[in-house]
Amino acid sequence: MGDDALAASTRDRSAGTPEPAARAVACPASLAEAHQAVRESTGTVLVSGGRTGLDWGGPVRDPDLVIDTTAMNRLITHNPADMTVAVQAGMRLADLQQALAPAGQWLALDPPTALAGPTLGGLLAGGDAGPRRLAHGALRDLVIGATVVLADGTVARAGGHVIKNVAGYDLGKLFAGSLGAFGLIAELVLRVHPRPPASVTLAVPADPTAALAATQAVRASPLEAVAVEWDGTRLLVRFEGTADGVAARQRDARGLDRLAGAEPLVDTAEQDAWDGLAAAAYGQDTDTVIRAGTRPDRLPDVVEALRRAAGPAGVTAELTSSVAAGVHTARLRGGDAAGHAACLRDWRAAVRDLGGTVTLRRRRDGVDDLVPAWGPPAPSVGVLRALKARFDPDRRFAPGRFAPWF
Amino acid sequence: MIGPVLRREFESTLGRSAVISDPAQLRTYECDGLTGYRVVPALVVLPESTEQVAAAVRLCARERIPFVARGAGTGLSGGALPVAEGIVISLARMRAILRIDVANQRMVVQPGVTNAGISRAVAGHGLYYAPDPSSQIVCTIGGNVAENSGGAHCLKYGFTVHHVLALQVVLADGSVVTLGGDSAEGEGPDLRGLFIGTEGTVGIATEITVRLLRKPESVRTLVADFPSVAQAGDAVSDVIAAGMVPAAIEMLDHLAIEACEAATHAGYTLDTAAALVVELDGPQVDCDGLFEQLSEICHRRGTTKIRIAASEAERAAIWQGRKAAFAAVGRISPDYFVQDGVVPRTRLAEALGRISAMSEEAGLRVANVFHAGDGNLHPLVLYDQAAGQAERAERLSHDIAELCVELGGSLSGEHGIGTDKACSMPRMFGQDDLAVMGRVRDAFDPDGLCNPGKVLPTPRLCGERPGPYRPHPLEQAGVIERM
Repeated sequence: MGDDALAASTRDRSAGTPEPAARAVACPASLAEAHQAVRESTGTVLVSGGRTGLDWGGPVRDPDLVIDTTAMNRLITHNPADMTVAVQAGMRLADLQQALAPAGQWLALDPPTALAGPTLGGLLAGGDAGPRRLAHGALRDLVIGATVVLADGTVARAGGHVIKNVAGYDLGKLFAGSLGAFGLIAELVLRVHPRPPASVTLAVPADPTAALAATQAVRASPLEAVAVEWDGTRLLVRFEGTADGVAARQRDARGLDRLAGAEPLVDTAEQDAWDGLAAAAYGQDTDTVIRAGTRPDRLPDVVEALRRAAGPAGVTAELTSSVAAGVHTARLRGGDAAGHAACLRDWRAAVRDLGGTVTLRRRRDGVDDLVPAWGPPAPSVGVLRALKARFDPDRRFAPGRFAPWF
Repeated sequence: MIGPVLRREFESTLGRSAVISDPAQLRTYECDGLTGYRVVPALVVLPESTEQVAAAVRLCARERIPFVARGAGTGLSGGALPVAEGIVISLARMRAILRIDVANQRMVVQPGVTNAGISRAVAGHGLYYAPDPSSQIVCTIGGNVAENSGGAHCLKYGFTVHHVLALQVVLADGSVVTLGGDSAEGEGPDLRGLFIGTEGTVGIATEITVRLLRKPESVRTLVADFPSVAQAGDAVSDVIAAGMVPAAIEMLDHLAIEACEAATHAGYTLDTAAALVVELDGPQVDCDGLFEQLSEICHRRGTTKIRIAASEAERAAIWQGRKAAFAAVGRISPDYFVQDGVVPRTRLAEALGRISAMSEEAGLRVANVFHAGDGNLHPLVLYDQAAGQAERAERLSHDIAELCVELGGSLSGEHGIGTDKACSMPRMFGQDDLAVMGRVRDAFDPDGLCNPGKVLPTPRLCGERPGPYRPHPLEQAGVIERM
């Protein structure tokens, strides 16, 4: 691509300002164009995809250049018999699922952002996953190859096109949860799965203690649930497999003491329940959304800590949980920025006291001025800083994303 | 150089019984499972705790002494090959199970606990640890973390990286950090995942938190004989196309079957060209339905005999036969190399055809036993050292690994790169790719003390000549060109 082509894909901010404000926007359509956009940039860079998680972590203020990857939206190769697909990282998850469907396959990933149009690169950078993580892992577990562009313009590839591969370091893992601070994810090779022919979801009313006990009962049984989620009032347990198989398993599950009273969600109720859960975990513009990870049996403590943090702060707090994975999402509503900040600070401290981790996702305007995006750094932050120094020594990519850690 | 003063410092730090300096004893550490490479280390230490590992590493860092961590020494790529003038840190004495948490289905162990020992410790709770490398009786979880080990069942269950939640790691400067955590999601980049599979080159894992799974309700195992490798391969394709994800699909060719039977009498048919071992597991009803479908596929593809394991004992015998395959080859050949490469599953037939031609050309027999579901080949190159065939066999073995890359696969599916394949890495990765991996290594270990000479090629190891030509991603995209 020549200079003219880059100019054509680089607009002045007057042509349409994305959030956060940037002086220029590049819209590469290929690895080569992405490489050129990075190589020719000199200032700070924010990589954006579907913008479903662009504000996660610390705020990136006024980057000199936004590289919008959504024109890198091609499926490169799909090998159904090998169960692999290679994509440009700006491809949207929904488009990929549609492309895989004729082969009876899918990417076994159901993140809360799914309905808002996330790209695959964005999903990897956000480290996100949904309820089916229990059966299939997060996106980091499904990436078998990655091509990235580093701040100095180096293009590097790791992994490959085969599922089983231990040759070399797995750069995909470094970019999983990197929130754009280590480079641009340009292309990904993914492992796909057969789409199961049948699904059934049971719902049972449950407080946190009952939800935990029921989850442990399901996990101790041989029923192999693909998802076990608590939506704040109910525990949802999903089975997928053959039609006969899921029918038998839901029957056996209802025979468990802890799931007495569980009812299958029929017709549209099943999809509605899962969509509702995703919407709650994704949140809305004026919400603050916080993701926490703990040992699974901490669920009641985590819920209690949130109640204690939210009350005095004057905010309404709701929590959903991937109970078996120990991943919880708190959504704060109502109140003001000071209340959201206070609730974040107090709940984060409590979760970390329980041995957990906390990542700030979206937040109400003003929260960033009142509280840091990250809690006190763990000892491993030294490794992160050393990696950052070697991948982006001038701190050009997503500056502020991991502040105050680096 | 490790002189007497420094040796005494190791002794006073770790205890005299934890330091080996006797030349005869040192020699037992000169190689791992890949016995072709041998280097006697200057010293071996046997720490018993994270603190002792950290203390030993701090001494190494202070004195700029390279160190190599070692588990059971079962690795097949020379990943635990000592460095002359360096020390070996054996984790053999760190064999404690620290915590078993049944409710949260996890366990915290020291690195010297064996893979099978983990499952054994929780069998009474109906739980197990999923990755099952063939050496699981002796190989250690610390080694599994270093190699990102898989096993026969990784088609469905994945590798070590999918089953480790957290690691306590001693870094190259002797500091101790935790990577990963209590849940499936942490803060920022996945350093846990980055660490796993780095073959001991960025630190030493001293505590490992593993995920445990509930044993499946039903396990159905069959052995299907086929008149040709191609027909067996077609059956595998049909299984995948039918949307099944079996726990395992293994293939053995005639020569491999002969070896297995000679060693274990597991009941494989001796006069068949190929056999598939297929295992389905999961909830009973799902499993029964799929098993019927599987049998139909095998019949459609011309199976000459299906043997279904009728008992747990019979199933165990089938697997014992399969897992003993490598060692069993010793029954039919005085010497052999075990190779490990991966091709896209759809190119298995092509790969086997090429291997067969290469085998003929070299005048050496190659037995094939492999994970057919994911294209992970384990060709066994048979030779006779006494007849002067070693060099030819080694070349054939290396050529097979590089053939896998040529077919769009990988140099290694589970044995690792180690010393053995470091110089082949430029076949699979470009200079920039390797340099960026080097940046990762440098971030963890700027002085290059941690298992040097493994994984990434160095001029000292591989010569100054650049690796064979392979196109840069931008070149493939038509953006840049080289003459």
